[in-house]
Amino acid sequence: MDIKFSGVSKIFEPDIVALEDVYLNIGRGEFVYLVGETGSGKTTLMRCIFREVIPSRGHISVGGHVLRKMGRFELALFRRDIGVIFQDFSLLPNLTAFENVAFVLEVMGVPVREINDRVTDALKTVGIWRRRMLYPQQMSGGEQQRLAIARAIVNEPSLILADEPTGNLDNHTADEIMQLLLDINAAGATVLMATHNQLLVDSYRHRVIEIRRGRVVRDEKQGGYEADGAY
Amino acid sequence: MARIKYIFRDGWRLIWRHFGMSLLTIFTAMAVFFVIGSTMLFILNIRNIIGTMENQLSIQAYLKADSDIEAAAKSVRAMSGVQSVNIITKETALERLRARLGNQANAVTLLGDNPLPSSLEVRVERAAQVADIARRLITLSAVEDIVYAGHVAEKLTRLSRFVEHFSVVMLIMALAASGVVLFNTIRISVYSRADEIDVMMKVGATSTYVAFPFVIQGFILGLLGAVTASAALGYAYFSALVPLREMLPFIPFIESKRLLFTLSLVLICCGAVVSLFASLVAVEKFIRKAAKPL
Repeated sequence: MDIKFSGVSKIFEPDIVALEDVYLNIGRGEFVYLVGETGSGKTTLMRCIFREVIPSRGHISVGGHVLRKMGRFELALFRRDIGVIFQDFSLLPNLTAFENVAFVLEVMGVPVREINDRVTDALKTVGIWRRRMLYPQQMSGGEQQRLAIARAIVNEPSLILADEPTGNLDNHTADEIMQLLLDINAAGATVLMATHNQLLVDSYRHRVIEIRRGRVVRDEKQGGYEADGAY
Repeated sequence: MARIKYIFRDGWRLIWRHFGMSLLTIFTAMAVFFVIGSTMLFILNIRNIIGTMENQLSIQAYLKADSDIEAAAKSVRAMSGVQSVNIITKETALERLRARLGNQANAVTLLGDNPLPSSLEVRVERAAQVADIARRLITLSAVEDIVYAGHVAEKLTRLSRFVEHFSVVMLIMALAASGVVLFNTIRISVYSRADEIDVMMKVGATSTYVAFPFVIQGFILGLLGAVTASAALGYAYFSALVPLREMLPFIPFIESKRLLFTLSLVLICCGAVVSLFASLVAVEKFIRKAAKPL
């Protein structure tokens, strides 16, 4: 799924500029890191792609959909093709790990037997199949992160938006999760990952987009976490 | 098909998840629909009584104490349209009262000297003539007062009209109250699942998918309230009918089970419509807010 930003600005009332005149072009199947300080606008940019936030100016198109013109029903269908790994995981505490993942497929009206197979696959892929009957609060941070990833990939989306998917995780677990995202990308999905993890960005080189005060200040293919004196 | 199954499962789960609240809603809806049903039954009975009375062809003419009964009866018999005149003496009137009181006939002794007036039971040929003959009877010097079914029917009609107006207001208030209770129950359910709804919408649930379990929850609660109210009303009415018939044998109460069944259907339909509407409003309001992008 490709993403296009044309002159996108977002100003939250009264005068907080979250994004300013952003132009972006992310091709289908790309793996892109989104880096920048906390509050620089990374999450807002992701939320714009997901149409949780509507730009104050400019246009966004994702996979050929012009987001501004979308109706409620069209938006629901559009979101089914996007897997989001939220910064706070957004897991449902009253559902087990299995149910948390199955929930996505239920919403799409997938039959029970198929749900069982696909959830099993997703939980096995992220390595928490044995923990499927636990509730999120009974799981460690790393396990919850994996569960969030399982939920994001279970419907085999064309686009993965990962907001700090390795935040608060040790290096080893972060590395495992990174590997998972790379595998998903290798299977054809576009991955956009907002991160502060310098080690990961420097170890697994991909396109890096840096945002500062709402503006894109760096867009490097095979870039590192820090700019190589380019600006 | 699978989606419908999930929607119904979720709706059912919601009822059990807030069981106390669900129970309270059912009881409130039940109380409201019971009141509505009782009022309707009252009006229907009054109408039935009026209808029966309007078809009665007799007039009771009470005579003055010093009047000549036979002479009065003779002049009434001479009137056109009068079919028959039956003389009821003071003694006969007392006997009739004793008979009507049954087991409590001894209470008549409390009256002391017989205070009941003599009267003429005038039967007319056609119902349309009742009012005219009544007017002519009251002009007779021997006649103190007259009572006829049409006269009572007129009074009852006035009472019925008042009750109907009053009950329309009460009906609207009761339905609104039931709607508000259902609306609040659904709103509490919706808010308790706010996080879940948020995630549902983020993973691509349509508004219908999100809203339907709540609508089903409201519908089931409203329906259960109306069904239990109908059952309770039917039971209470037929239980009360036996002693009421004994106490007031001259009043023609409605005994048609078919009518009661129709009334129950009306109540249940009201319950279904009100609960559907209240739930839809409650959940749609929340979804519109949740779906609105920043």
